[in-house]
Amino acid sequence: MDKQKLLDYYRKMVLVRRFEETMEEYAKKGYIPGFLHLGIGQEASQVGAMSAFEPGDYVLPDHRGHGVCLMVGTPTREVMAEIFGKKTGTNGGRGGSMHVADLKRGNIGNNAIQGSTMATACGLAVSAQVKKTKSITFDFLGDGTVGRGEFHESLNLAGIWKLPIVYVLVNNGYAISTRATDAHPLADLAKMGCAYNIPGVTVDGNDVEAVAAAVKEAADRARRGDGATIVELKTYRWQGHFSGDPASYRPAEELAAWKEKCPIKHLRTQLLGKKLTDEAALKAIADDVEREIQDALKFAIDSPTPTIEDALRFVYVGREVAGK
Amino acid sequence: MANDSRVILLGEDVARMGGDFGATMGLLAKFGPDRVRDTPLSEAAILGVANGAAFVGLRPIVEIMFSDFITECYDQLVNNSAKAHYMFEGKASAAIVVRTASGAGFRAAYHHSQNPEAWFQNIPGLTVVGPSTPYDAKGLLIAAIRDDNPVIFLEHKMLYGTTGEVPEESYTLPIGVAEVKRPGTDVTVVASLKQVHYALAAAEKLAAEEEISCEVIDLRTLIPFDQATVLASLKKTGRIVLVNEAPKTGSINSEISAVIMEEAFKDLKAPVERVNSLDVPVGFAPVIEDYVTPGPADIAKAVRKVIDN
Repeated sequence: MDKQKLLDYYRKMVLVRRFEETMEEYAKKGYIPGFLHLGIGQEASQVGAMSAFEPGDYVLPDHRGHGVCLMVGTPTREVMAEIFGKKTGTNGGRGGSMHVADLKRGNIGNNAIQGSTMATACGLAVSAQVKKTKSITFDFLGDGTVGRGEFHESLNLAGIWKLPIVYVLVNNGYAISTRATDAHPLADLAKMGCAYNIPGVTVDGNDVEAVAAAVKEAADRARRGDGATIVELKTYRWQGHFSGDPASYRPAEELAAWKEKCPIKHLRTQLLGKKLTDEAALKAIADDVEREIQDALKFAIDSPTPTIEDALRFVYVGREVAGK
Repeated sequence: MANDSRVILLGEDVARMGGDFGATMGLLAKFGPDRVRDTPLSEAAILGVANGAAFVGLRPIVEIMFSDFITECYDQLVNNSAKAHYMFEGKASAAIVVRTASGAGFRAAYHHSQNPEAWFQNIPGLTVVGPSTPYDAKGLLIAAIRDDNPVIFLEHKMLYGTTGEVPEESYTLPIGVAEVKRPGTDVTVVASLKQVHYALAAAEKLAAEEEISCEVIDLRTLIPFDQATVLASLKKTGRIVLVNEAPKTGSINSEISAVIMEEAFKDLKAPVERVNSLDVPVGFAPVIEDYVTPGPADIAKAVRKVIDN
């Protein structure tokens, strides 16, 4: 067991957790326009899966993908500024929470239409084949996506063309209020790849080491040219669908049970139990993360908003659009 | 494709067969299976692949066999292709070309005969091009491939057999610029694709038999249309007939007409006249199809109407 790696996972999971908690707090304070979809409880799936990401790879985050956006290496302040709708954000404040993209680091962005990114992922993978690079594509999906036509069309293409894709299927049990088990005939959605000759594996999504190992194996497979894999991560979102959704559609005891399985708590217990670290070291990590969050927060709050001139820019390449 | 290794081609039956209309024949042998790919029946995925590949630097051309099938990939075109440049704050765009066979006349009924251009005019970010001659087809297609915006390239299926001079060498025609195909003084007739030929036929007949002089404009780019050329011609003639093969309600003719009302109302000597298909589907039997879609006689009738007004 690599101590340094585990401490790195720990720091990253704490960062994602604190990022999300801070976003929720500032959404309630009125700093964040529009919807906010949080991934609290899913940190192990994001951090573990992204540990296989290498420079030159591509990633399409899922609907609660802030953590994935951070793991690409985009400065925390730029992700936060985007969610605040600021000009200094990754998309200049025109994308917001749902569309954080950082092309130069390989984050191609999320899409509000679930599953649309799956076909885009195939295109990224095709580009790697055409350019003969070793880039692979990480395509994060939710369980709700399994119902979309593009899920099937894309897996079919990935199957016939042996596309270098890792499908990270984050099964958090619910698509808004609809249980995954009510929406799909299989309990283990990784098996959906069977029809397309794409292997699938179902993993405890709250165990960061298990997630990292499974995704690494899938990534290696893709890099070897052996095609796509579905890695299903069973986890749970602690918040409602969006910040402010009371999630009255799910039983309180279910949430409580999953909170017991908190991925950060799980890793912390392991680290301390195996005497790989001590409370003081973990506190130092938490303090360090807090400084990063506070720096990002100050940056996001102090940054300018886009101007109305920005509203008219980049509709077309090389063609102006008239204003009012 | 020979000049630019970033250009790839995707679509149903485009590789081994060379396309339903033979437009891509021979390209697989020339450029290989990485760059020329047959796809399953997956229009949404085809467009998504094009988007993804374009975002990271390729220049995909996709063929959607019949334009009617674009409904299957409408989400990708509307929500991803059209908005990519804006969403990425100018750092990337969906530099794709969607070639697709449009239009009626093939006796192919409801799902193989439609003209989809109006479906895209309410979507900022999309461009729709449609040539009426072989010369324009080559020049506009190369321009579309080189354009950094997503371009929907309509190929009227009744025009595939058209012959005309086409230079061997590479050349482009500007997107967004219409062409005055026939100068005239009494009425401006604005058309596109197959209807350009009908408009020219009607103009010849009206000139010969009724001494009416029509100026015929081929839009070439349907969305956005060339306002300057259309309005300059209207200023000269004072009368205008808009011809488009799609159903009338909400057609591009509706938009052109609205722009004329806003920008050139005082130049009008008579109300704008629109010639379109009727607001009904395109049925199979020839008598039905011919009645529903516009022809030279409909155009001539509209010209006489704006003259008499």
